[in-house]
Amino acid sequence: MEKEHEIIEKLKQSLKEDMLEARVPRDRRIFVSVKQEALKKALEFLVNDLEFKHLSTITGSDLGEELELIYHLAHKGSIELSLRLTIPESNLVVPTIIAFIPGAVLYEREVHDMLGVVFEGHPDLSPLVLPEGWPQNVYPLRKEEKFEELRKIGSK
Amino acid sequence: MGYGSTIKVPFGPQHPALKEPANFIFDVDGDIVVSVKPRIGYNHRGMEKAFELRTYLQNVYLAERICGICSDAHATANVQAVEELLGVEAPPRAKYIRVIVAELERMHSHLLWVGVAAHEIGFDTLFMYLWRDREAVMNLLELISGNRVHYAMNTIGGVRRDIPSDLTPKIKQTLDFLEERTKYYLNTVKTEQTILKRTVGVGVLTPNDAVELCAVGPTLRASGIKNDVRADDPYVAYGEIPFDVITHDQGDVFSRIKVRLEEMFESIKITRYALDHMPEGMTRIKVPMAVPKGEAVSRVEAPRGELIHYIKSNGTTKPERYKVRSPTLGNIPAVCKTLMGSHLADVPIILAGIDPCFSCMDRMAFVDVKTDKHWVWTMQELKRHTSK
Repeated sequence: MEKEHEIIEKLKQSLKEDMLEARVPRDRRIFVSVKQEALKKALEFLVNDLEFKHLSTITGSDLGEELELIYHLAHKGSIELSLRLTIPESNLVVPTIIAFIPGAVLYEREVHDMLGVVFEGHPDLSPLVLPEGWPQNVYPLRKEEKFEELRKIGSK
Repeated sequence: MGYGSTIKVPFGPQHPALKEPANFIFDVDGDIVVSVKPRIGYNHRGMEKAFELRTYLQNVYLAERICGICSDAHATANVQAVEELLGVEAPPRAKYIRVIVAELERMHSHLLWVGVAAHEIGFDTLFMYLWRDREAVMNLLELISGNRVHYAMNTIGGVRRDIPSDLTPKIKQTLDFLEERTKYYLNTVKTEQTILKRTVGVGVLTPNDAVELCAVGPTLRASGIKNDVRADDPYVAYGEIPFDVITHDQGDVFSRIKVRLEEMFESIKITRYALDHMPEGMTRIKVPMAVPKGEAVSRVEAPRGELIHYIKSNGTTKPERYKVRSPTLGNIPAVCKTLMGSHLADVPIILAGIDPCFSCMDRMAFVDVKTDKHWVWTMQELKRHTSK
């Protein structure tokens, strides 16, 4: 797991205190947490300097008081690095990354649909997977939304 | 939200598993597509939320049902993720069986797709031949698992059924047949003017765009990018089995057809190797019901490309969060790029080119940028108009 640890070292040198923690649970898997403000900086470094050019997807999770975003990136299709940050429920806004990862365009829309995160600078956050007529402010993957209620809305 | 279009049933016993709806809005200038806006979600079922309500074992059943064509890919991604959380590995024999089922799935999916591509360019004879030959794979899957779809082979800790050695002769006989047929089809696509005229130079995706738009699978490999999860991030037994990653570098629909047909040869090679080197021993191990806290990222090369499942556990019997990104979604931005600047007549084959899990939209909206005229066509109408 040498390569993985090398990557963490380089990332640490670039981000310094903006990198909160990092671990290598197994071959070809890295998990890194960064401060919210460091998102763009961290991704730009990963994409341009460390060649993590492929974004597999963006996972959003409702943690209660906070919302967690994980950007899953691949290095030459091989090492998968999951970059994590948390944002407060009171201000669910992060900058869009489509300027340097154009392929993020639909993943950001999906997180917006499901959790209500606003990706500042995204040209079009219209619904991707939710149907026309879906009520605003009902974000299905928020923990407070119950499956039965969502099913009732969906079957109208 | 009525769809309104007729459902086409092919002349034969096969059921098309592929007529799922999606919506694209095209801005056109005369005959040329100027911009594309995709609208998906007609089949959105709230799976990720549903995963949170079920136990890990129930979720194996659910994961398999995310897709009908690549159900095993999802099942594999799922059980691998849970096994990683549990800190266990499936026994070697189970891993080889997982490879065999996965490759048979890839074969049926690729043959299905080439048939669909043929159909999209009006070459229905080829479509029927391909789907007839695909039945050989479906019969094998039924022989091994009891099912043509949703094989229920994977479980947490291994596989639920063995592939006993007395099945090997029949499997190998079928692989020999498929190899012959694939050679025939590869030769056909390379020499048939009908196909060449409709696919060479059509829907080109440059290598740069393919990477920037995070394309996956045969679409990515047809643009010359040599990435395949089986080789780059080996899982189950792929790390021990020799095979080639197929690429072509023209990035057109023709290249995407060639990649998939040539991948058939690799799948046949891999399956033969797995049968010949099948380890003895158990097919599954017992695992606890409760999964310790943790998270895992599981990646699989589904027939359509990189499939990723992310799972977070909170120490109970049900997952805290389950995320799935299917390969088709990964290719939508790329296919939209390839549609820009294309002729209307090429829209069906380009869309089909990424082998989407919705291969035929039932409604497309058009806007002529010069006259600001708006209209809606079904796929039928588009094809009728463009074949004038």
